[in-house]
Amino acid sequence: MPPLTHSRPVRLTAGLAMVASAALVLSGCGRVDNAGTSASTAVDDKPATGTVSLWAPDGDANALDDTMATFKEENPDLDLEVTLIPESEYNTKLQAAIASGTGPDIAQTYTEAQAGFIKGEAFAAVPDRLVDEDSFFPGSWAAGEVDGVAYTVPWYAYTYTLVYRKDLADAAGLTAPATWEDAIPFFEGLQSAGAVKGFGASIGWDSYTGQDLAQLVWQAGGELISDDESEWTLDTPEMIEAINYSASYFTSGAADTSSPGFLDTQPYFVSGKSVSMITGPWVIGQFDAVAEEDGWTAENVGSTLVPAGSAGSVGAIAGGSLGVLADSDNQDAAWKVVRFLSESDTQIAQYESYGSLPAVQAAWDDPAIADQPLLDAFFEQLQSTRSYPQRTTWLQIATQMGTEMESVAKGQETAEEAAANLQAFADGVGTGE
Amino acid sequence: MTALNTSGVPRKRRPRGVRTSAIAWIFLAPFAIVFLTYTAIPALAAIGFSLTDLQGRDLRNPFNVDFVAIDNYVRLFADARFIRDIGNTLLFVVVGVPLTMALGFALAVSLNSGIRRLRGVFRTIFFAPVVTNIVAIALIWQYAFNSDGTVNNVLANFGFAGPNWLDDTNTAMPVVILLGIWRNFGTAMLLFLAGLQAVPEDVQEAASLDGAGWWSRMWHITLPLLLPTILLISVLLTVFYLQVFDEPYLLTDGGPLGSTESIALYTYNQFGFGNYGISSAASVVTLVLVAVVSVVQFRLLRPRT
Repeated sequence: MPPLTHSRPVRLTAGLAMVASAALVLSGCGRVDNAGTSASTAVDDKPATGTVSLWAPDGDANALDDTMATFKEENPDLDLEVTLIPESEYNTKLQAAIASGTGPDIAQTYTEAQAGFIKGEAFAAVPDRLVDEDSFFPGSWAAGEVDGVAYTVPWYAYTYTLVYRKDLADAAGLTAPATWEDAIPFFEGLQSAGAVKGFGASIGWDSYTGQDLAQLVWQAGGELISDDESEWTLDTPEMIEAINYSASYFTSGAADTSSPGFLDTQPYFVSGKSVSMITGPWVIGQFDAVAEEDGWTAENVGSTLVPAGSAGSVGAIAGGSLGVLADSDNQDAAWKVVRFLSESDTQIAQYESYGSLPAVQAAWDDPAIADQPLLDAFFEQLQSTRSYPQRTTWLQIATQMGTEMESVAKGQETAEEAAANLQAFADGVGTGE
Repeated sequence: MTALNTSGVPRKRRPRGVRTSAIAWIFLAPFAIVFLTYTAIPALAAIGFSLTDLQGRDLRNPFNVDFVAIDNYVRLFADARFIRDIGNTLLFVVVGVPLTMALGFALAVSLNSGIRRLRGVFRTIFFAPVVTNIVAIALIWQYAFNSDGTVNNVLANFGFAGPNWLDDTNTAMPVVILLGIWRNFGTAMLLFLAGLQAVPEDVQEAASLDGAGWWSRMWHITLPLLLPTILLISVLLTVFYLQVFDEPYLLTDGGPLGSTESIALYTYNQFGFGNYGISSAASVVTLVLVAVVSVVQFRLLRPRT
C-alpha cells in the first residue's frame, strides 16, 4: 500500500477541484426571481383516485382516520397515506423533504411558518373555486396568500386568550382583567387567594415566546415591519414598552422564570402553582383529565380576551393550513382531500375527535362548539387577530425576540438594549422573501 | 471441466495480489457505496453549498443560487452567538472527554479485577445508558432536575435548597455535560475492559514477582500497553462531543441564555430557519475542527516505537 502521506496532496487537490467545480456550476446558474404561480384549473367532483400522501405534525392529524372515514367510503379508489411527524421536527423535516424532492402530496403548515414554504415555491396555488375563501376567519385565509394568490387552505384556527382559575378569582373577589394595567394586580390577587404564582408566563424563550411579544407590540400600537414589508421596525417605543411590560410579569413577582415547561402547565394550573396563562383553546379540553374529575373545568376555569394595551386587545391568528406541493404528481386527488377537510361538517367532526377548532366560521355555530362558554372568548378574540409577518425570516426574528426577552426578564440587559439588539439582528437577517 | 489451452502459449496467471485486491474491493463495495452516498458526497455538497447563499426560498431550485465565496464563513465568525457556541462545544470536549474516560477506566479496572464473577451483570448495567433511548432519558432528566424535581427533593432532605438546574446559566451546562458522560461512559468502559483483558497476565505476574506494586504496574505496564485503546477512546469521545447535539437539544434547547448551545445545535437551527448556506458553513467548521483535533490527538498519543 502506498504511504498515505504521499497521495494526500493529490487527493486534496482533486477534492478542492470538485468543490470548486461545484461552486462554479452553482455560481453560473445565478439566482432568478421567483416566478409567480397563477391559480390552476378547477377541481371536478369526480371521486379521487390513486395515492395521496399527507404529512402533518403529530397532534391534530391524529384524528384524521376518524375525520376522513366518510371521504374514504366515497372515494374507495383513493389510498391516503398519513404520516405524522413530531411537532418539534416538523418544519425541518418538511423542508429537507421538499428540498430533496421527496415531499408528500399534501403538507400541513403552521400559520406562522408557512411563508417560508410558500415563498420557496413549495406549494401549488389553490385552484379556482376550490373553496369559499369568505367562509374562513380572514386572518387564517390571508396567512396563506402571497400577492393575492392563495397557496394553502385553512384547516383549523385558534388564537390565544387569558385562561385563569375562576374559583380563585371569585374567592378573592377579582374581575377578569381587561387591560394591561388590570392584569398584574389580578395575578397578585390570585396569589393572595392561595396561588403560588398568579401567572404562568411562557418561558421557552424561543419563537413562541417571541410571538407572545409580537402580540404585546400590536397591543401597544406598534408594528413589527414597515407597511411595504421592506424593513423590520423593532427598535421602537412600542417594542420597548412591550418588552418592559413582559418583563414586569417577572419583576412584579406575578410569574417567575422557573415557570413550568410546556408539559407541566396544566398540572401546575390545576394544582394551584401557576393559575393563569395566555394560551390556546386546547388546554380547555385537558384540565378535566389532569384534575381527574369530570366537570372540574366548567366549575373552576374562566377565559377572557387578552388584556388590552393602548391599541386594544389584539391577538395572533394561529393554526394549521393545508397545501398541495407543487411537485405532487396527483394534485387533483390531493386537492379533493384538502377540499373535504375544509368543509364545515368535516371541521366539526375534527373538533369532536380531537378538539381542533374550525377555521370555517360557520362551524362555530354548531352546538358542539357554541354550547361551550369557555370557547366564547376564543371566538371573540378570533375577530380581533393579526397574522405574523409573512416573511421567510420571521421565525428567525421571532426566535431572537424570545432570546432578547429572556435577557431582559433575567436582568441581563434593558428593554432599550434588547430592542436595539433586535433591530441590529433583524437588519442583518433581512426580511427575506 | 477446464477448457484446453491449445494455443501453445502458457496461460498467463493473474497475480495473486490482483485477485486478493478484487476480492477485497467486492467486500468493501457495500460500505464504499454507503460511505460515498451518505458521507462523502453530502460532505462535498455541504462544502459547495457553504460557498453559496442557498436558502429556504430555493427549496425547489437548489441550484438556483448565487456564489458568495467565503461570505458565509465571514458572517459565521462575526456572529457572537457562533463564537459562544464554539466555546460551549469546546467546554463539552475539555470537561466531557477526560471525565468520561476516567469513569469508564475506573469501572473497567474494577470489573477486570475485583468483581469478576458479576462482570457480565455490571457490564450490562453500566452499558444500559448507551443503548437506552436518549429522548426517554432526557425527559426523565428534565423532571429530575426541575426546580421541584427529584434531585432537589433529595437535596432538601439534607437541608439544601437546590437551584432550578436547567434554567440557571451556572448549572445548566454541568447537567448537560453530566448527561453526556452518563450516556458515554459505558462505551469507554467496554473498550477499556477489552484493552485491559489484552494486557498479558504473565508480564503483570513477572512484575509482581519483582516487587512492583499495583500503581507501579498500572503506570509502567498497563497504561503504556493501553495507549492505542486510550487513543481510540479519546478520539471517539472527542468527535462525539465536538458534534454534541442530543443532550443540549433535548434538555435545554441551548438555553438558558444560550449557555448550552453547541455548534451542532446552531447548525440545526440555521437549517430550520432555511439558511442552508450558513448551516453548511457551520457544519464545515465542525468538520475542520474534528479533523484538526483528531490529527493532534493521533500525533500526541500514538504509541512511540
